[in-house]
Amino acid sequence: MRFPRFFSKKRGHRRTGSEAWGSIGEGLFHAALVAAGLVFGGLLVTGIAVPEWRINHDFRESQGTVVGKGLARRITAAGTTWQPCLRLRFETEAGSREAWAMRGSVASDRNQALSRLGGMELGEKLPCWYDPAAPETVVLARGYKWWMWTLTLLLPGALLAFGGAGLARSLGRWGKSEERRAAGGTLPLERLVSATQAAEKLPAVPSCDDLVNSPGTVLKYRLPISGPESWTLLGFGLFAVLWNTVLVVLAVNAGLDLLGGRIDPLLAVVLVPFALVGVTGIVLFIRELILSTAVGTTQVEISDHPLRPGGRYDVLLAQGGSGTFRDLSLVLEAEEQATFRQGTDTRIERLVVWRSPLESWRDVQVTPGTRFEVRSTLRVPPAAMHSFATEHNAISWRVVVRGRPSRWPGFSRYFPVVVHPAGPAGRQGTAAEARA
Amino acid sequence: MNRSGEPIRQQPVIVVYFSHADHRYQPLQQIDVRYEVAVAAGTAVRAVERSILWYTEGKGEEDIGVHHFERITAEPAVAVAAAGGAFGDLLPRSPLSYEGMIVKVRWCVRVRLFFEGGRDFVSEHVFEVGDIPAAALADSTSV
Repeated sequence: MRFPRFFSKKRGHRRTGSEAWGSIGEGLFHAALVAAGLVFGGLLVTGIAVPEWRINHDFRESQGTVVGKGLARRITAAGTTWQPCLRLRFETEAGSREAWAMRGSVASDRNQALSRLGGMELGEKLPCWYDPAAPETVVLARGYKWWMWTLTLLLPGALLAFGGAGLARSLGRWGKSEERRAAGGTLPLERLVSATQAAEKLPAVPSCDDLVNSPGTVLKYRLPISGPESWTLLGFGLFAVLWNTVLVVLAVNAGLDLLGGRIDPLLAVVLVPFALVGVTGIVLFIRELILSTAVGTTQVEISDHPLRPGGRYDVLLAQGGSGTFRDLSLVLEAEEQATFRQGTDTRIERLVVWRSPLESWRDVQVTPGTRFEVRSTLRVPPAAMHSFATEHNAISWRVVVRGRPSRWPGFSRYFPVVVHPAGPAGRQGTAAEARA
Repeated sequence: MNRSGEPIRQQPVIVVYFSHADHRYQPLQQIDVRYEVAVAAGTAVRAVERSILWYTEGKGEEDIGVHHFERITAEPAVAVAAAGGAFGDLLPRSPLSYEGMIVKVRWCVRVRLFFEGGRDFVSEHVFEVGDIPAAALADSTSV
């Protein structure tokens, strides 16, 4: 008897094995997640949600008299905790009863718990609620702990959703070949392709809708900028805001303590490095903001879009700002991008496989209020690979403007373009090419 | 016979003939393929899948796009298709075959046989769409 292969083997142009068996492990993993979600959810529901719901719905109200005070001690692995509790005498349908009821929160310090008991006097009257099925169970407060309900729903809910979705996917893939799944639209890629290019019947070619919705001032389209500069600025900005929000909360707490005549040494020690990091974050954000704005805006306009292999297009470069640029250049680039998993990380590798300098200028003088404007011609190589985008792989084209201002660090600004495959009549140019 | 005394199961052999002898096609061109299958006597095939598709190779995870797919499960047709047959389709405008540095796009024809008992066997035959030259590193620049 042969044991089934869990993964298919590729031998030359042949593959053998059973994909059905290959998905068993994945299915078992997701089934285990579903089981864990059910068990965890069951424990939370029966241990927390149901008792809380019963207190609010089944327990009867009564008037309790404080006849004793004490501390409930709990010894756990984390240490000993103390919780104030009161012995109450209250009336039930079956007559008068006495029972202990917890009052207030748990404290790790016995003296702190004792001080909370100090406010209660023997003989004091308090409203209380008892369990008609077990009158020795009495509580002094009702209501719902929203965070406990959220926790009850969130953790097992996430396990059930993740595991259930994975299990459904595994069942859907069971016994189906890779081709059948892709043809059936069950792979994410199929949905991606059909969503982007179904109308134009250009599978795996990214849409250029977002690149042609902004008209240019001179040429037909103004290309949107997409570069690391904007993301770096956004990243520094977000970090500065989030970090300093936490810092302000901590600082306000420390300030209130100080006003109350108390100093928490741990908080004070933590605040110093926190403040240093917060100030550094603000400084870095301001530096990036100055760098990105001081150089001036860069605009690129193009005579037509999408591009075609062999096509020639007019390009307008407009550089704002002030001062002198030691050099400014316009480049056409193609970049391959591969997304892959390495252990538990998802990594992206990028590689420029085509670089064609279009034109460059030296000692460009830009005065405030005016822009350095220059026209150039972009020629897509006749044998260029078209733009390509799938879930894990991409080939993208872009116009790159590189500059070296005399007073600031050099910059590269990227303007993505989409190259379509050559038309059915062979490689073709555009109106610009016809004019040329 | 193998060491445990069981008869050695022979792998099927699938031979595919393309309508273009050089296996090279242009976008929007018709591709037709004929295939012949040789399986060991007594092997029961319960389904046959024939597809024309592209997939990615290289550093990234594999992506796949199926252009033509047919699954034959009806009893008399399976017996015929499991011995050989022909199929074809009009190729789309994209993607074109591409031999990049870290991203490659390959077109292929696959014939997959499903045997009684759950095992399957697939034979893959690559062909070219378009004539994009292989990519080269640009100024050894890695971004």
